[in-house]
Amino acid sequence: MAGLTYKKLVCKDLHTYLRSLTPSVLDKLYCHPATCLAVYRDLPELARHYVMRILFVEQAVAQAVVKQWSNTSPEEQVEAAAALMELRVWYEQPLPGGMPGWLLNPTFRKNLSTALLGGGTPWLGTKDLTPDKYAKDIPFLDKYALERWECVLHFMVGSNEGSDGVNKDITDILLHSHLMRVDDGEPSITAEGFQFLLMDTSSQVWFFLLQYLDTVQTRGMDLVECLTFLFQLSFSSLGKDYSAEEMNENQLRFLQHLREFGLVYQRKRKSHRYYPTRLAINIVSGVSKDATGAKLDTHRPGFIVVETNYRVYSYTDSPLQVALLGLFCEMLYRFPNLAVANLTRASVRAAMSRGITAEQILHFLVSHAHPEMLKNNPVLPASITDQIKLWEMERDRIRFTDGVMYNQFLSQADFELLRNYAKDTDVLVWEMPEKRVIIVTKAGHDDVKKFWKRQRAS
Amino acid sequence: MAGSKRDKKDRDEKKSKKAKHEAEVVEDDDIDDGTEALNSKDVPASAARECTEAAAEDEFGAQDYRKTLELKADHMSRPLWVAPNGHIFLESFSPVYRHAHDFLIAISEPVCRPTNVHEYKLTAYSLYAAVSVGLQTNDIIEYLRRLSKTSLPSGIVEFIKLCTLSYGKVKLVLKHNRYYVESQYPDVLQKLLKDPYIQQARKRELDEEAGNDTLIAGQLSNKSALQLNKPAASTSDGQASASTAENGDNENAKEDVPDDIFELYDKIDKDDDDEDEAELKTVSFEVNQDSIEVLQRRCIELEHPLLAEYDFRNDTLNPDVNLDLKPSTILRPYQEKSLRKMFGNGRARSGVIVLPCGAGKTLVGVTAACTVRKRCICLATSGVAVEQWRSQFKMWSTVDDSLICRFTSDAKDKPMGCAICISTYSMLAHSTKRSWEAEKMMEWLQNQEWGLMVLDEVQTIPAKMFRRVLTTVNAHCKLGLTATLVREDDKIADLNFLIGPKLYEANWMELQNLGYIARVQCAEVWCPMTPEFYGEYLTMKSQRKLLLSAMNPNKFRACQFLIRYHERRNDKVIVFSDNVFALKHYAVKLSKPYLYGPTNQGERLQILQNFQHNPKVNTIFVSKVADTSFDLPEANVLIQISAHGGSRRQEAQRLGRILRAKKGSAAEEYNAYFYSLVSQDTNEMAFSLKRQRFLVNQGYSYKVITKLEGMEKEDLNYRSREEQLTLLHQVLAASDEDAEEERLLGDMPGKSLEDLNYRSREEQLTLLHQVLAASDEDAEEERLLGDMPGKSLSNRRVGSMQSLSGADDAIYMEYSKNKKKSDHVHPLFKKFKKA
Repeated sequence: MAGLTYKKLVCKDLHTYLRSLTPSVLDKLYCHPATCLAVYRDLPELARHYVMRILFVEQAVAQAVVKQWSNTSPEEQVEAAAALMELRVWYEQPLPGGMPGWLLNPTFRKNLSTALLGGGTPWLGTKDLTPDKYAKDIPFLDKYALERWECVLHFMVGSNEGSDGVNKDITDILLHSHLMRVDDGEPSITAEGFQFLLMDTSSQVWFFLLQYLDTVQTRGMDLVECLTFLFQLSFSSLGKDYSAEEMNENQLRFLQHLREFGLVYQRKRKSHRYYPTRLAINIVSGVSKDATGAKLDTHRPGFIVVETNYRVYSYTDSPLQVALLGLFCEMLYRFPNLAVANLTRASVRAAMSRGITAEQILHFLVSHAHPEMLKNNPVLPASITDQIKLWEMERDRIRFTDGVMYNQFLSQADFELLRNYAKDTDVLVWEMPEKRVIIVTKAGHDDVKKFWKRQRAS
Repeated sequence: MAGSKRDKKDRDEKKSKKAKHEAEVVEDDDIDDGTEALNSKDVPASAARECTEAAAEDEFGAQDYRKTLELKADHMSRPLWVAPNGHIFLESFSPVYRHAHDFLIAISEPVCRPTNVHEYKLTAYSLYAAVSVGLQTNDIIEYLRRLSKTSLPSGIVEFIKLCTLSYGKVKLVLKHNRYYVESQYPDVLQKLLKDPYIQQARKRELDEEAGNDTLIAGQLSNKSALQLNKPAASTSDGQASASTAENGDNENAKEDVPDDIFELYDKIDKDDDDEDEAELKTVSFEVNQDSIEVLQRRCIELEHPLLAEYDFRNDTLNPDVNLDLKPSTILRPYQEKSLRKMFGNGRARSGVIVLPCGAGKTLVGVTAACTVRKRCICLATSGVAVEQWRSQFKMWSTVDDSLICRFTSDAKDKPMGCAICISTYSMLAHSTKRSWEAEKMMEWLQNQEWGLMVLDEVQTIPAKMFRRVLTTVNAHCKLGLTATLVREDDKIADLNFLIGPKLYEANWMELQNLGYIARVQCAEVWCPMTPEFYGEYLTMKSQRKLLLSAMNPNKFRACQFLIRYHERRNDKVIVFSDNVFALKHYAVKLSKPYLYGPTNQGERLQILQNFQHNPKVNTIFVSKVADTSFDLPEANVLIQISAHGGSRRQEAQRLGRILRAKKGSAAEEYNAYFYSLVSQDTNEMAFSLKRQRFLVNQGYSYKVITKLEGMEKEDLNYRSREEQLTLLHQVLAASDEDAEEERLLGDMPGKSLEDLNYRSREEQLTLLHQVLAASDEDAEEERLLGDMPGKSLSNRRVGSMQSLSGADDAIYMEYSKNKKKSDHVHPLFKKFKKA
């Protein structure tokens, strides 16, 4: 059953991502206050508490002391300490007396205090910016960002409506991240890609950027530089323009890419002025926690009505949204502002065979629910939720156990001997006395084999 | 285009499926009726018309109307979309929902009505019904146009015109004991008169010259003939306040609703149920009574089907009956509304009223009878139902006992001087020899001129039987009552032309929310098959498969658990099983009373009465005989352990057994429970899905339960594997020897005659298909015989089936005469087997 082998698309949060970086990269990252602040915010609460306590302590603090700062459970304390270790925010340093102690990473300490107390240079270029003749307001930026982003999604869906194509950089990233693969010369979407489509926008952007960052080095760009710029962007303010004057070659290239994804708006390629969009500003908080901050999606009201009779009405004219619905619904009618669809066992199973999970479908339906639906609690009719989950479980009724088969026993006695041995040692998976076949678990194979050899020898 | 393509596909699918399943199991109960095809002469050609228009398909295979329809600028405030294939989608949260809903219910068929978006479909029949209650073509189009969020598809406009221009224009009116063809449109009458047949049918006064074509001018009152008890001020106040409240709503909502919607609504509304409009001018000509049938047929051919209206106020030939509603009888708003449609113009229209089970259909029938105040004949499906009608008449109206006459195989009252006759379909349709008494009674029935004929559970009657009933008894006005106007085929639509258009259809969810019917929690309980049963299941033939899945020990345990659980809550539980072997086994094992086809009338009443009044009897087991017309107001839990294939109707009817509103339970979210026990991985799963479609479309949702909480803790039967195996052996043994026979017998509750209705015939037919592959003709003939009010017929059927398996029908005939419940096998046979 190949269908069961699809791996679930894992979207790393910031913490996991940073953990995967090498210590030297991390150290370099901490050279900028914005990064430090972003990392700090992402830490568990207790860890933040530790950092604050020792921010101005320039020497190692005894671990025993740190332990006494809170009365939370030991596991939580260990967890917090580990998180700080992994990100190299602090490291172990024995105290003069030989007691184990913690020392805050000096670079981190310096830059975090800068971030918190002020000082230093402005994070993003604001130099000699005259008021913009073509100043853009927030709604415009939101619209622009969404349009750009949907362009990418459209391309993935392969829908021929409404997308004017994407450039090669984006295609490369999609291929690199296995969201798409090349079939017959044309990129086509993969199981992971379907899962990706059903995530909410901020998670998508974050996931996409991580994939992008994976490739920056091959493009000859500096990872640290890019990350730093990203963190700076995420602390910029929406609707304000920034100058690109002082950016170096690499940074400008990066900026162009971000423009491509809709993270920043630049009126013209050569323009020295750019606006970060909500996609960029959300970027860090997007995935790590259930950020309740303004998401880009929310400026567009929900549009999906799910009925108890498995009907799905979607108040949208966006071909992308319809295409997404089409992933797991049978489409019936398209009106100028409404699409009518049916959730059927077949359509949902088809989606599942492409690697989409019930949870993702439900999440998609809930997060885009029509205001009328939001009046209900739960938002989706319980019977629909149950049914979709049941459809998923239905696919899951076969359990696989790896095993090794023994057959062609010469006598019934041999068969029984070995079977009984396997049974006694609790490694027997299956037996069929008529044909003298048994299957034992992989783990038990060696043991059974040895036993058999011993038996034959004797 | 899409619709037709899809339909065709469906049909093909059905066909192929049918072929596939032929050897298997009953698919849907009414796919094939064999006999059904209505004489094409009864239905105008255009009724078969479908609204079709080619539409592009988009890349997802959906009908793409984006190019053809234009979105209006103020679409947000308009409530509906009209698809070129006749489907209409209505937002129920729109401020003008109520208006749009009333309008749509008048012109189209509801397809599904869940919470937020309702779907309707325009059909030739629905439009026919719309005109017959007085809506005008242009009003329909115009109002639809205004309500729609988009431009109206041109095909729809055409379709509406096509269907409405000729329908509903001509009425056949009986007044002063003479028949008139009446119309508000002189040109239509002129057109009809050009036809030679109609010319002949026309009755001319002797002194009238042949060339004189003047029509009789007349006037039509717009006053409703419906007189109801207004509980002093309270209702009218209630209404007034309701309407002001509604107006208030409108005021609030008006800001964002285009004015044109209200304007037109008010106009139509006035047309609809005004009391003081100017009288309408009509023209008419008189026709000969003997040529009425020719006339009707001819008019249908000319695409001007005659609507039958009965001007009972001016009927002096038939004596008025002293019959009134009791002053204490108060109708619910929806009952009143439905009757207003019937008596809207001062006359009685024929038609069908659709109300959910338990919503008080009988009262609607009684009120109609009290309004007409002429002799009235009521037809029900079974003897039990006849008794219920009788008691309802006595409960709601001032009728004297002597005026009511029952005519069933068990009870034949003296017809002399009676005004209300209650009988069953099978009694009337029965075409072979009757007893002398029955013969006399029939003669009397046929000689009467009935004012009103009330047809209960009208969906259960096959067209053929129906026609016989309608032709033997003359009634001026026919009122059909039903809860589920669905059939797996679309034959139900033909009722439109046999009785009349659908006058009203209530929304189940709305009645539920208003508390007129119980709030039901529907649940589908999945019971995994035990490995042993499933093993057998896989190797068995289809007949046994059914039995095995019904006897699944896990199902038994679930059933036992649910019964215990609800009995502890002091609920009254009915358990349904179509499979008689299962029925008996479950009931005996759990020591509960059971009743099924062969149970005689006395015993039935005893069991039912005990169930209602005896606090010790809280659970009864019943077979499909209790599907319809068993009024059990106390029951609030229903467990279904085996059912008949994928019949949507049966599911809805069964739900109806617990729908009657429950007292004093407003606090709980649900006050009735419907459990359908399904054995996992068996046919039952697929059937169950099918069965639920009707209710799901009415807005019910089924909760799937895969594990019953606390079941493990209970001490239930068949816990151990040994017990389960014994059960399996019993099942296997039973099916070899007598389970199958019992099954057949049980499936034909035909023993006690009244139960023999259309449904069981269908099932018998399908069973016949499976078991014997008997021809449709055979089956049909037998059915007719089977309708007879003696026992002979159904026995004969059994016989014929048994005879194929080596039994002799004579033996069986004798047998069931002195049937013993437990023992259906003739001693001779037993001996034979032993030997």
